[in-house]
Amino acid sequence: MLLTQNAIEFINDNLAIIAPLLIIQVVLMITALVSLIRAEATKGPKWMWALIILFINTIGPIAYFIFGRSQE
Amino acid sequence: MIHLKNLTKMFDKEYAVKNITFDLPPGKCTALLGPNGAGKTTTLKIIAGLMHPTSGQVDLSNGMRGDIRQYIGYLPQHPQFHNWMTGKEFLQYVARLSHIPYPESKKRAERLLERVGIADAKNRKISSYSGGMKQRLGIAQAMIHKPSVLLLDEPVSALDPIGRRDVLNLMEELKQEATLLYSTHILSDAEEASDEILLMHKGSIVESGSLQDVKERHQLDKITLRFEGDMQSYKEKVEAFPFVTHTDIQKKKLHVYVQNVPEARDVLLDLVNKEQWPLLFFEVGQTTLEDLFMKVVKEHAMADHL
Amino acid sequence: MQWLTIYKKECLESARNYRWVWVPLVFILFCIMDPLTTYYLPQILESTGGLPDGATFNIPTPPAPNVFMMSISQINTLGVLVIALITMGTIAGERKSGVAELILVKPVSYSAYVTAKWAAHVSLVLLSVFVGLIASWYYVQLLFGDVSFIHVMSSVAFYVLYIIFVISISLFMNTWTKIPGLVLFLTISVILVLNLITSIFSHLLEWSPTSIVSHLPALLRSGEVGQNLWMAGLITILSIIFLLFGAIQTLKRREIV
Repeated sequence: MLLTQNAIEFINDNLAIIAPLLIIQVVLMITALVSLIRAEATKGPKWMWALIILFINTIGPIAYFIFGRSQE
Repeated sequence: MIHLKNLTKMFDKEYAVKNITFDLPPGKCTALLGPNGAGKTTTLKIIAGLMHPTSGQVDLSNGMRGDIRQYIGYLPQHPQFHNWMTGKEFLQYVARLSHIPYPESKKRAERLLERVGIADAKNRKISSYSGGMKQRLGIAQAMIHKPSVLLLDEPVSALDPIGRRDVLNLMEELKQEATLLYSTHILSDAEEASDEILLMHKGSIVESGSLQDVKERHQLDKITLRFEGDMQSYKEKVEAFPFVTHTDIQKKKLHVYVQNVPEARDVLLDLVNKEQWPLLFFEVGQTTLEDLFMKVVKEHAMADHL
Repeated sequence: MQWLTIYKKECLESARNYRWVWVPLVFILFCIMDPLTTYYLPQILESTGGLPDGATFNIPTPPAPNVFMMSISQINTLGVLVIALITMGTIAGERKSGVAELILVKPVSYSAYVTAKWAAHVSLVLLSVFVGLIASWYYVQLLFGDVSFIHVMSSVAFYVLYIIFVISISLFMNTWTKIPGLVLFLTISVILVLNLITSIFSHLLEWSPTSIVSHLPALLRSGEVGQNLWMAGLITILSIIFLLFGAIQTLKRREIV
């Protein structure tokens, strides 16, 4: 209980600092998802990439952009 | 025009193209005919400047000079595109690469897409195109800069009968605008569309000339005979006649190549009667280009099996 | 303009690949990671319960220029890896798939083909490095204290020379093989070997392209560009020209099959 209160307090105090980081991570994730949805074909199943993008922070979307999109 | 002089290409000590020399006849449609692996693709790629010959050269004349690529359009056997582009975007891209100004590139792309029959798909991504559509787009990109020479590598062999018909018709039209050189391993395609023929075998040109000439050259009169028993003894006897140019035995049949058919027929039949040879088969006929082609293909297949 | 046609096509491809979005975002993340974790290190240690009761522990706050250098070293590792990954197929991939056959059979100048592709990747990567380092500077300014904007800009100006050098190595390797994975391997290997040699013989190789980074802390603090840095910059520019020239010559001799 104490811990969560601390956490909320901490985030309130530092929101201005942390917000840009969170926003960039979310935008990166959304871009990757949009790209995934619009892609005709991916290397490996789409649902797998969706999970990777959603649950592996930052690295997931990067991995999708580099390895997931089937070139040419 | 384009002249090939002693062109040779080796891959790891193997000849892909062996000392070929020919002048591409201007304004004609020439078929580069030969079985798979005869060196057709290599020859086309060398002319297109995509491969460098081991020795020999490709010369230009008739006001052509400098970079040969500005004069030729090339369609590879399996054309690949930037699949993320639309058909129209790709055509415009290669048009711009060929120094065609932007407004003109747009017009030409539209017109060519219409002409090769894929105008409906012009704004779709190439990744969604079927094999036949890609082949048509491939022809369009080869024509975009109005080249005076078109090199087409197996333009029809991968197509279904309808697509094949369309492309052959298109080639018939293109003949009016450019010199065509296309490769094929199918004799009937070569006979249908071309004026001139170059028959390739193991990297060399074994026969060339206008379709008519080549056909006539291979229209030898021949009489085919078959007897019971061993053919060899009959062969020796028949060879003695003055009207016989040469003979050979294939599949237990004796082929007698002759100069004077009526005389030969009478003499041979008389001989058969008189000697009481056990005749099973007698035919008067002519050799065809197909015989030559089959011979080349067979030799090739034999060589592959060794 | 053939050059412009190829440049625009490359930029369009990067747009369709969403590269203009994700690469800058990823570089921003790389660059702000270290300033933030350094700033929050005490809290992070506390929350993981790493310190025994009663132990007081004073983590000294690093000087602002050092924190900015942390961002640069992030780009030097992860960033360089991303650069090598996005450039590994630019020519090799086109040759492997066979598109190059259709492109280079048109009267395309090989130098335009190589340099336009190079310029397109340089544009994308420089934008990314730039926004990343600006973001880093913003956080350093906010959390650690003042670093002169002019000093930061002159450091960035020299650092991007090194980044362009990395892109040029990749373009060069692209003309040597048709296998993008091998291009990646060769590019990274060359950079690692150069780094190793430069650090072993650092007293001799103060002008090596990889030595640019080691000159930056001094530049950030004083704003003065030392003679070694000038020379390293010059050598880097010459190397870039040499690599591009080599790439064009190699491609000319290659068979596009």
